Amino acid sequence: MAVARRSQRTRTLLFALLLVGVTLVTIDSRAAHGGVLGQVRGRLHDGLAPVQSATHAALAPLGNFLTGAADYGSLRAENDRLRRQIAAMQAQSIAAAAATAEAQAIIAGAHLSFVGSIPTVQALVIDQGSSNFDNAITLDKGSADGLAVGQPVVAAGVGGPAGGATPGGLVGSVGAVSAHTATVDLLTDPGAVVGVSLPGANTGTAEGVGPGSPLKVTVISTAAAPPQVHKGDAVATSGLPLERYPAGIPVGTVASVTTSSTNAEPAVTLKPLVDLGRLDVVEVELWSPQTAAGAAPAGTAGP
Amino acid sequence: MVTADRRRGRPGGHRRAVSPPGRARLRIAALAVLALLVQATVAADLRVAGAAPDLLLVVGLAAAIRGGAAHGVVVGFAAGLLGDLYASGTPVGLEALTFCLVGYGVGALRDNVLPAGRLLTPVLAFAATVAAVVVFVVLGDLVGQHQLVLAGRGALVRVTLVEAAWSALLAVPVSWAYARAGRGSAGVDRLGGRPEVLAAR
Repeated sequence: MAVARRSQRTRTLLFALLLVGVTLVTIDSRAAHGGVLGQVRGRLHDGLAPVQSATHAALAPLGNFLTGAADYGSLRAENDRLRRQIAAMQAQSIAAAAATAEAQAIIAGAHLSFVGSIPTVQALVIDQGSSNFDNAITLDKGSADGLAVGQPVVAAGVGGPAGGATPGGLVGSVGAVSAHTATVDLLTDPGAVVGVSLPGANTGTAEGVGPGSPLKVTVISTAAAPPQVHKGDAVATSGLPLERYPAGIPVGTVASVTTSSTNAEPAVTLKPLVDLGRLDVVEVELWSPQTAAGAAPAGTAGP
Repeated sequence: MVTADRRRGRPGGHRRAVSPPGRARLRIAALAVLALLVQATVAADLRVAGAAPDLLLVVGLAAAIRGGAAHGVVVGFAAGLLGDLYASGTPVGLEALTFCLVGYGVGALRDNVLPAGRLLTPVLAFAATVAAVVVFVVLGDLVGQHQLVLAGRGALVRVTLVEAAWSALLAVPVSWAYARAGRGSAGVDRLGGRPEVLAAR
């Protein structure tokens, strides 16, 4: 009798908590992760930030060791593949350098308005995502340092394609910000979309598919001829109006190009320049489409 | 005034006695908060093949294994809610729902079917983690979190198996800690941590 009563009580409790859970999910989904629950999240991140900074620095070597041990087989295969690639590249270096220079010249010529002049804030990565389904990182800087939602984030000190001298590569954009921390939605997040420039004055969008997977590029406008995209081509942000990123930030290199008889545009995938799984320091660009537009004469805002 | 001082446990007044179940609840709450701290600071750096342990889930499972369905439901929900508030990619409540359901399932099995055994904890933790990941992804997809399934079947299977292995490994020490923390509560005393047994250890 007592057992039955206990089971009944537990089931009632389960249903009540399920109801609370569904209500919370509904409220948070409608507030798009903002509102009261968003503020609570921000406060929790702020509170944990000092502890995370300290422990992350101390434990990063152990994490790297575990990751390296797990990836040993694939690293060896990758090493062999890279050796073969270097041999092939030496033979093609002149043509590749010319093609890279041409692509960079197209990108640079089309959009070089404010790359290099945007102020940045350097931030330390204090969390690589606590959940296995959290495709985001946490930084030790927040709104108190000038960070705001939507700002582009690039990795500091990363070389460009073929050892080029780009200042870094795109990492993602600030997705949420509290006083002293910020969450960055990574480029590979399935919700992330980046406008990119493609060779031959074409543009497209690069969409995240998931961590560790290359970005899927969709060609959205082409010149007269189908775009001539080749494996290894450098791709940067297009910076077209209403884009979330300024022009000229290197995004990645073309990982694969597949053409089909049924579709004029090739199916392109893009490998990010930055290893998003091992980020320690990033630069946040204090830029937004609004600030870029604000550079133009104001006067339309306000009554 | 004297009454108020006594109630607040100020000098000059007597501390209000907390009952054994109340003390057990406080210790369990402290264990869940400690798990959140460890998860936020240490666990994310311990990725193997891209997957990290989920200590809050392990606490929920330990509650169900050591305390039965009632513990699994409540502690699972609370631990999931802590995880929800710390994570940023999914809506608040999704992990709470998942851990609550899995906690109930594991606890009900423990209450009615599964006897205590040496291998019970790691095996049950492994299986329950697989179930938890599946429930989380399916529920997430249902509420519009389609990014959870876009990574592909291979990536999901890899993450699930590694996380389940982590859970199996961590479930033994965590459930031991839970049994210590939950001493005095009806569920733990009934299933896994009878006072006389613990006293003899």
